[in-house]
Amino acid sequence: MFKDLSIKNKLYLGFGSIVAIILILLGVAYNSFSRLSEANAWDRHTMEVLVEIDKIHNSILQIQVETRGYILTGNETSLTPETDEAAVLSQLTQKAIAMTADNKVQSERFRKIDQLTSTWGKEWINPLIEKRRALGNAPGATETVARLLPPAGSPGLVQANKLLDEVAAEESRLLAERTATTAKLQETMLLTLALGGLLCVVLALGISYLLGRSILGPLNNLTDAVGRIAGGEQNARAAILSRDELGKVTEEFNRMAQTIQDNQANELAATNSLRAKVDSLLEVVSKAASGDLTGKVSITGSDAIGQLGNGLAKMFENLRSLLNNVQKAGIQVTTSATEIAASARQQEATGIEQAQTSVEILSTTKEISANTSQLLKTMEDATAVADYTTNATAEAQNNLKRMDSTMQHMVSATDSINAKLAALSEKASNINSVLITITKVADQTNILSLNAAIEAEKAGEAGRGFSVVATEIRRLADQTSVSTWDIEQMLKEMQSAVSASVMGMDKFSEEIRRSVGEVRQVAEQLSSVMDQVQKLTPQFDAVLQGMQSQAIGASQISDTMMQLNDATQQTVESLKATSEAVHQLQYAAGDLQSSVSTFAVNI
Amino acid sequence: MKVLLFHIGRDRYGLPLAGIVRVLPLLELKQLPLTPDYVAGLMDLHGTPVPVIDLSRLAGLPAAAAQFDTRIVIVDYRAAGGATHALGLLASQVRGIADIDPQQLEDSGVATAPFLGQVASDADGIVQLVELAHLLPPDVRALLFQDASAA
Repeated sequence: MFKDLSIKNKLYLGFGSIVAIILILLGVAYNSFSRLSEANAWDRHTMEVLVEIDKIHNSILQIQVETRGYILTGNETSLTPETDEAAVLSQLTQKAIAMTADNKVQSERFRKIDQLTSTWGKEWINPLIEKRRALGNAPGATETVARLLPPAGSPGLVQANKLLDEVAAEESRLLAERTATTAKLQETMLLTLALGGLLCVVLALGISYLLGRSILGPLNNLTDAVGRIAGGEQNARAAILSRDELGKVTEEFNRMAQTIQDNQANELAATNSLRAKVDSLLEVVSKAASGDLTGKVSITGSDAIGQLGNGLAKMFENLRSLLNNVQKAGIQVTTSATEIAASARQQEATGIEQAQTSVEILSTTKEISANTSQLLKTMEDATAVADYTTNATAEAQNNLKRMDSTMQHMVSATDSINAKLAALSEKASNINSVLITITKVADQTNILSLNAAIEAEKAGEAGRGFSVVATEIRRLADQTSVSTWDIEQMLKEMQSAVSASVMGMDKFSEEIRRSVGEVRQVAEQLSSVMDQVQKLTPQFDAVLQGMQSQAIGASQISDTMMQLNDATQQTVESLKATSEAVHQLQYAAGDLQSSVSTFAVNI
Repeated sequence: MKVLLFHIGRDRYGLPLAGIVRVLPLLELKQLPLTPDYVAGLMDLHGTPVPVIDLSRLAGLPAAAAQFDTRIVIVDYRAAGGATHALGLLASQVRGIADIDPQQLEDSGVATAPFLGQVASDADGIVQLVELAHLLPPDVRALLFQDASAA
């Protein structure tokens, strides 16, 4: 429903709502203010009544003061001040009655007060004044009159004062009540203003947002569609969101976009048909450009394109007949040139073959010559080595012979040492047997000495000297034992040394015997080698002479072959030049033929 | 008092010369079966059979090794009956004769083998005397010298 409104109406509606809300708020505020001011007026009225009550009170007190002053002094001036207090009191009371006209109870009280005061004035104040005046300046007048005064004041006045207090209390109570009402009103008004203001702002914001959205939404939609069409999307349309002025604009825009799209489609179709014709012509022409003249022009007609097609067809026909003639002539030329080139090539190949053969012969001859020279040198070296070997072998044989005789001497010396060692060992054994005998003797002597000592002991005093001899014998026997033991040890050591030597010598002589055998074998081999080497030398010499003559022959062959090779090279060079010329002719004929053959002329 | 010095094990012992008849080299002994193990065997002394006691075995040690200074000492053994018999003692390391002052002899004060007697000290250590009288226990003595007890 909101969408169907025009923009003007939308604006009026929005702003009107805001204004209405503000007016409602103002009305509520005004109402509150008027109630508040009324309450305030009532407050003030109560205050005024209270002031009146105070004035009435004052006036009563003033009357009392004046009367007492007159009673005390008797001076008339005390009774006649500038104002008549009784009249003032009456006035004040009347005013109070008028003011409290709205409150029946209060005004009744004030009326009573008025009656009582006027009664008080008539019944008490005036008689007192009259009495004082009557007494005049008589002594004790004051005391006399004063004694007339009731001790608790006149009953009417007491009642009037009591009523006044009641009225004042009532007014005070009213004042408190009204003040409370005012404060409550004030609070209510503040609350109303604050909440109303807040509500007002929120509503205004909401309405603004709705308005903005309803106007900006269609605009953005339209802008988006325009952007898309500008970007090439031709079938882009804007959605119609509302039925206001913007909706109409969107509708018109969509129609415009449709028209533009239709026009463009028509134009494209025309262009395409023209392009197809041109393409077909272009295809035939480009085939012709690449050499294929068989293409047929299918475009005819009276328009510009048709006339162009007819002209092209005629031109292709003429070109085809011309190219046929050229092709025939080219083929003939190529055939002749190929024949010439083939024969020249054959001749050249033969020449090259000849040259290669002579080069090969030459290199072979050179190789033979070089080999012969090297062989010759090697043979010379070999002869020298053979001579040297012969001499060295002879010397070695002599050395070996000397070594052999030395070895023989060594073998015999070793044998004699062995024999001597065996004799030594036998002697040692003999000594050992002697030592055993000595040991036995020493042992016996020891026992003998012991027995001698025993016998001497048994002989008592007579055997004393014998005992000494026995001790001496025992000592000698001990010494013999010790020495014998020493000799025995030495002998044992000697025997073990001798047996070690014998073993060593045996091993040594065995080694020498083996060495002698080996030396002899080497000497025999050497002598056979020497024989062979001595036989070799004359054979080497014969070979050497043959080699020398061969070397001379080879170098002669080499020289002759060099000359032959030079001649062949020259022949080959001239043949190559001929071949090159024929090749060029052939290439030219080939070029012509290939150029023509790129044109296809058969339909 | 002169004594013949010999060893039992590592210790030195002395046999008074008065009791000794002769010192002989080690001889072949005939074995005596069914006798205590310290009876080494029977020897031939100029045709008279003489029993031989191994002193080392008697002292409870292993048998004395047969060395060059191992001797057989022939002693006059006085049996209980008063008869004297020749008895061979196998002693090792017979070193010679020593003269011991009788003043130096002291009782050992230790109850040991019955045949070991007083002791004396010299430069080489303590020498303990061997008492022939207590050498053999009565049963062995009866075993070895049956002729005498019978006589």
